[in-house]
Order: sequence, then structure tokens, then C-alpha cells
Amino acid sequence: MIEVSDIRKRYRRKNVLNGISFKAEKGRITSLIGLNGAGKSTILKAIMGLTPVDGGSIRIGGQPLSPEIYHTIAFVPDRLTLPGSMKLRDGLQLMSDFYPRWNAEKAEDLMSFFRLERGERIGRLSKGTAAKFNLVLGMAQDVDYVLMDEPFSGIDLFSRERIAEVFTSQLVEDRGVLITTHEIGDIEHLVDRAVMLDQGHVIRDFDCEEMRSDHGKSIIDVMREVYRT
Amino acid sequence: MAGEEEWPEAAFNSRDPVYLQVVKQFKEMIATGRLRGGQTVPSRRELASRMKINPNTAQKAYKEMEDQNLIVTEGNSPSHITTDADVLRKIRSELLGEAVEAFVESVRRLEAPVEELVELVREKYGRPSAAADNNHDGAGGGQR
Repeated sequence: MIEVSDIRKRYRRKNVLNGISFKAEKGRITSLIGLNGAGKSTILKAIMGLTPVDGGSIRIGGQPLSPEIYHTIAFVPDRLTLPGSMKLRDGLQLMSDFYPRWNAEKAEDLMSFFRLERGERIGRLSKGTAAKFNLVLGMAQDVDYVLMDEPFSGIDLFSRERIAEVFTSQLVEDRGVLITTHEIGDIEHLVDRAVMLDQGHVIRDFDCEEMRSDHGKSIIDVMREVYRT
Repeated sequence: MAGEEEWPEAAFNSRDPVYLQVVKQFKEMIATGRLRGGQTVPSRRELASRMKINPNTAQKAYKEMEDQNLIVTEGNSPSHITTDADVLRKIRSELLGEAVEAFVESVRRLEAPVEELVELVREKYGRPSAAADNNHDGAGGGQR
């Protein structure tokens, strides 16, 4: 389980995170939902140790953050970070060279699932195709947790549908997936837990199936309640 | 009868629990004979990818179906649809009951007389044999 407790961050005289607490369990898909600027990406970066926090704690599988812990997490940032001059094939090689939990077989499966061409250059990929390759790099690692920052943002409908299918496969089984999004529509049916953020606060945190059965509300219904005021 | 490829790709509504919508799909397939008593059901994993749902949801749907005695799991063999004739019969009447209830709910607001409704249903429903069958249920229910 990823356990975020009361994390705080101030940046340029502005409070970005005001005591954020939530849990992302293994075997479940947890979504951090919020409008732009709510602090979603900052939280993922804090979990990955990519940005310092001013208070609070983050534990993964009960352990505090440490270099070893990061072998159990993969991070899919909001855009590809490999150099554009690289071919996809070289990107996969780089992953296999530097990531001990890289699983070439899984990568193979994902490459064909997304119909990606190894000979293509990263810099020449369309936005949708780049998003798919970005996902391959994260999902092909044998890790317990996968964090994804806005995997659906700014890409075409069919790419979004294809990517959403990953969440129905064994690739997400027994793993904790934490995904940020501001448009839940693509994965409304796939998310187990929703954590809604506003201005650096957690304003709602609920089990999506329970919300439907107890209140007859979709995630979007709850979003309307909390964000449209 | 139901080839494995014929598994429907469900369009889910976003306000009812997804696992219950999956259970309902199964009931409809049973009621219409696309799934028969004793037939093996897909593994949880297969179901998730066929219906494009989260594997947890598939798990929860199967759990619910086990609780409702719709599917049976014995030892290590794959789960299958129950052969209990009583359970199977009830599925059909349950689905029909729910559908009629929803229909009645929505026409009640229009305060239409029952005879008019029955006439309209018969007309719209079309197929003579099905309409005749329906006649019993519809008229019987309407006069109470």
C-alpha cells in the first residue's frame, strides 16, 4: 500500500499541498482527480522523490522512501522523457539496461498490443502513439505499484480506448495503480477508488462501486457536486 | 449455443454498480438461452478483458453470482452456471418483473388507462406469438 500522510508543500509563497492524506492499495486502481493546478502531479512527484515536501510522510509497503523502495514502483510521467532521436527499439534497450525489474516479455506483449513499430523514432511519434509507448515503459516493469500522470490527456479517442483496455488486463492485477486525471470519463468504470483534490486538499475519498450502490452517483456526478460551485 | 466470441461488449451506465450490471448481463444471457445451465463460465481474467472491466469488478461479479447461486464452483474445476432449474426459472421472471416495473413507473406519470397501454404494447411488441404470451402477464398484472 502507498500511504500518504499529511504531506505539505509550499512553493513560491503558495501552499501547493495542504496536508494531503490518502492510501492507494495493491490490487486496486486509485485515481487522483482534480482540476488543473489541484496538486495531482506534485503528489506523484513527491511519492517518487522528485520534489521535496515540507512535511508529512510517505510510506510504501509500510517502509519509508529509500532507493531500494523505488525498485518496487514505476512512474509514467505525463510525457515521454527519452530523447527524440532514439528509436523505440533503443528505448526498450535502455530500459532493460538500467531497470532491474524490466520484463522484456511483457514489453513485447505491450508493443504488439499497441501495434508499435520498433524502428520508429521517438521524436516522430504522434501524441497518442507516444502516450502508448510511455505506458509500455512503465507497465513492462515487474513492480508492485505503477503511478501514471494524466495518461489520457490530449490524445485521440481510439488511443484512449486502447490505453483504457490495459486496465482490464492482468497487467493491473495484484498491482497498485495510482493514476491522475482531470477527465475521468475514459476510466469511469475501471477505477476502484477516487480521491478528489481541490487547492491542495483532499475533499472527497470514496469507493466508486459503493458510491454507485449507496447513492446512485457516478464519479462525474460527485465531481459536479464538488467542483461546480 | 453461445460461441465464446459472441460475448457481448457491454455498454455500462455510470450510476449503477458495474459488478451488478455484469450480473444482469449474465442473467439476460441465461434467460435468453445464450448461456445454459451447467455451461462453464470464463475465468475472472477472461471476463475482465472480454467485458472491458477491471479484474476486481469481475471478481466481485462472480462472488455476487455465487451468493445468488447463479454459478457454482466446486474444488479446482472451473465455475459453471447452475443446473438448478428453480434458480434458472426465477431469473427470467425476475428480469421480466424488473423491466415491467420500470415501464409501469414511467407510464404512470402519464396517467394512461391500462387498456390503452396493453393495446399499445401489443401493437409495438409486434411478433404475434410473443405478443400472445405477453398478453397473459400484461393483462393479469394490469387488472390487479
